Amino acid sequence: MKFNRRQGLKGAIGAAAGAWAGGVAPRPALAQSRAETLRQVMGGTINTLDPTIPGGTRETYGLAMSTYDRLASFGRKQVGGAWVFDLEDIRGELAGKVDRAADGRGFTFHLRDGATWHDGSPVTAEDVKWSLDRAVLAKSLAPTQLSSGSLTQAGQFRIVGERSVEVQLEKPDRLALANLCVPFAMMINSRLAKQHATAEDPWAQAWLKENTAGGGAYMVETYRPGQQVVLKRNDAWKNGADGALPFFRRVIVQTVPEAATRANLIERGDADLAIDLQASDVPGLERDGKVKIVSIPQTNGFNAVIFNTRMAPFDDARVRQAVAAAMPYEDMFQAALFGRGRGLFGAGWAEAPDAAFPQPMPLRTDLDRARRLLAEAGLRDGFATTFSFSASAAPVAEPMAALVKEALARIGIQVTIQKLPDAQMTTMVVEKRLPFFAESGTAWLPATDYFFRTYFTGEQRWNFSSWNNAEINDLAQALRFEADAAKYASGCRRMITLLAQEAPQLMLWQPNHDAAMARDIGGYTYWFHRQVDYRDLRRG
Amino acid sequence: MAFLLRRLAGVVPTLFGVVVAAFVLTRLLPGDPAVFFANSVTADAATIAAVRQKLGLDLPLWQQFLVYAGQLLRGDLGQSVGTGQPVATDLLRLLPASAELTLVAFALAILVAVPLGVAAALRPGSVIDHACRLLSTAGVSLPTFVSGLLLIYIFYYQLGTAPEPIGRIDPFAIPPPGITGFLLIDTLLAGDTEGFAAAARQIVLPAVTMALFALAPLARMTRASMLGVLGSEFIRTARANGLRRRKIIVSYALRNALLPIVTTLGMVFSNMLGANVLVERVFAWPGIGSYALDSLISLDYAPVQGFMLLMATIFVLVNLVIDLLYAVIDPRTGLFHA
Repeated sequence: MKFNRRQGLKGAIGAAAGAWAGGVAPRPALAQSRAETLRQVMGGTINTLDPTIPGGTRETYGLAMSTYDRLASFGRKQVGGAWVFDLEDIRGELAGKVDRAADGRGFTFHLRDGATWHDGSPVTAEDVKWSLDRAVLAKSLAPTQLSSGSLTQAGQFRIVGERSVEVQLEKPDRLALANLCVPFAMMINSRLAKQHATAEDPWAQAWLKENTAGGGAYMVETYRPGQQVVLKRNDAWKNGADGALPFFRRVIVQTVPEAATRANLIERGDADLAIDLQASDVPGLERDGKVKIVSIPQTNGFNAVIFNTRMAPFDDARVRQAVAAAMPYEDMFQAALFGRGRGLFGAGWAEAPDAAFPQPMPLRTDLDRARRLLAEAGLRDGFATTFSFSASAAPVAEPMAALVKEALARIGIQVTIQKLPDAQMTTMVVEKRLPFFAESGTAWLPATDYFFRTYFTGEQRWNFSSWNNAEINDLAQALRFEADAAKYASGCRRMITLLAQEAPQLMLWQPNHDAAMARDIGGYTYWFHRQVDYRDLRRG
Repeated sequence: MAFLLRRLAGVVPTLFGVVVAAFVLTRLLPGDPAVFFANSVTADAATIAAVRQKLGLDLPLWQQFLVYAGQLLRGDLGQSVGTGQPVATDLLRLLPASAELTLVAFALAILVAVPLGVAAALRPGSVIDHACRLLSTAGVSLPTFVSGLLLIYIFYYQLGTAPEPIGRIDPFAIPPPGITGFLLIDTLLAGDTEGFAAAARQIVLPAVTMALFALAPLARMTRASMLGVLGSEFIRTARANGLRRRKIIVSYALRNALLPIVTTLGMVFSNMLGANVLVERVFAWPGIGSYALDSLISLDYAPVQGFMLLMATIFVLVNLVIDLLYAVIDPRTGLFHA
């Protein structure tokens, strides 16, 4: 073996890999490097190293969490034996200390002592200011996200000391700090990035798409867009929860488009982790016991049946409630997801008991009630409509649609099932041209007011049902700045109650996030961005 | 020479037609790419408008076409939103992978199909003829993703003799310096026999899968064409004159049977290069088929157009080569004299 050709790589790793790929057991001395390497296979691709670039895939978010630091980070908590991110627990990441203004209208971030970028240069307040400015000014996905935390102008970010930056808010936005924990609020080595900025591209977006200028726990060693990324641990990183380094020295992330091939690789032990296997394969893998499956309900997501509230006959709340009372929820849950998730139906309340959202809604099958409501709405003989879903949602939506068709036929509603290519479905949803369809949503920051603002107000895509309820509109805006916890909770309960009464969409369930991994991998955490954070994982 | 020039001049209107067709067809796809790419939860109408402007889709269609044609004249195929790279870069990076796989599979298919077809034609109704029929029927009727998954299941998952079915080299290895882009050649040029063996192991399963698919038309065509020629009078004369059997079959029969076989070869080759998306997906082979499919699904116009243009160019070139081969095989076609 000639080591001169393998310069970018430690010879030992290459040798171990060569033996490994050839189907030969690694030699004992080299087994260590395999143990300290994590290999993830994914169906998606990583198409940019800067997650804020429009068109960036979801997979880039997970990567950015490991390659860049943010000022602050969410903690994690145990839910039902699995780790889940905790929106309520925010700690400093690149900032060692975060001071909150007494009136809630700002924060002061004090940088961690000795914090450095990947190139070894120290992190300065200027870097932080430049990164925050970029996040609100550059033409990217970041400004709209950060505006949900009232972070919109460069003037809000002020350098107040050699290693301190102040963030000022006009009003005490509940999600301002949380927005500084998302992938788009990454901290960039501004001196390095500025070297690659041009007059047309002042924020070095072209360069940062292909390169990283961060200080995160991992450095990008090789990047082949759409195929593979290899990460190397940054041994100087001290910004973790307890200052500890991540376990894995090296992370290999590879695109393997075929789900069956991914499952094979995991089962054979050649790959360590996959989070996008086919849902129908997961129970089988779990039974065979060769791999570990961590199943966590996606606490910040939902699947729903949507009515277009501006299109007849669904503009009549009684028609929506009639359909709601005709749906066979439990059967749908079993047929679509094999019950793998958390149901959001079947509750018995009339007033929401809890401020958390999504929570189980009072949705129950009651055909008599359905017929009565339909008759009240003047549609005793029923009507005909179309139920649409996107091709990529078909594994879940197709069995569900069949049950919807069958159930609604019982109250006289004739349903035509329509499967649409994703891009077409998206366009039709945005243009509000579908009457009745299946959709799903997730929120990075699953605060109840944020959910309602995003999914139930406004003229944008995510208000699937085009719901326009004056009380919801007011509450969703006002609660954003509500400092009083009791008032906030009662406002949230009121919104949830209204949702149940008006039924612009029927919440069905939160599907499980299924991560398949080698049996010796531990620490897997479900994050708001639904990707892997390599810093959490360990072997043994 | 004049023939060659005439043929090359004829290519220009063809390619122009392809450019127009590719442009129009992508615009006919249902769905709005700007909406699709502005996919974050916080994307509002302004974000979508900004994306649309960035993609140049806010212009009227004819202006978009002029912009695109102008880019093409400068050799710029546009930007892929999906990979975030220039399309030309992507195609140059991915084409060698597809070409290498196709060529290996193609060679494999010829090596098996032509002798098999000839043998079947020599003894119609024999065991070998039935074997030929069975193999070609199986090759046609088994979808490539089924045979691919089956091969993976047997040789990788069960027996463990094949390396993991992911791409062209194992993920830890450093690829050889890219000279031709063909790993099998580059590794040898770099004197890396170990790398060559690894790349060869990696290509066996996908190439066999693809060859199975190409085998059928080739073997059938060879058999039919040989049968026709073997029954003709000059072969009978040759036999009557006591020529050696080998001489009759190879020099007279096969050479005369070659024209339709070569035509089929050209078509099979072009098909394999573009249409074997499924093999590329099953084996995570970083080729242009997969790339074009992904782009198509996500309404990424530039790569789809670039792919269509590239395939058209290759098709034209392959046809040209085949025309030239005709002249070599059968001087009576007179292409060089006209």
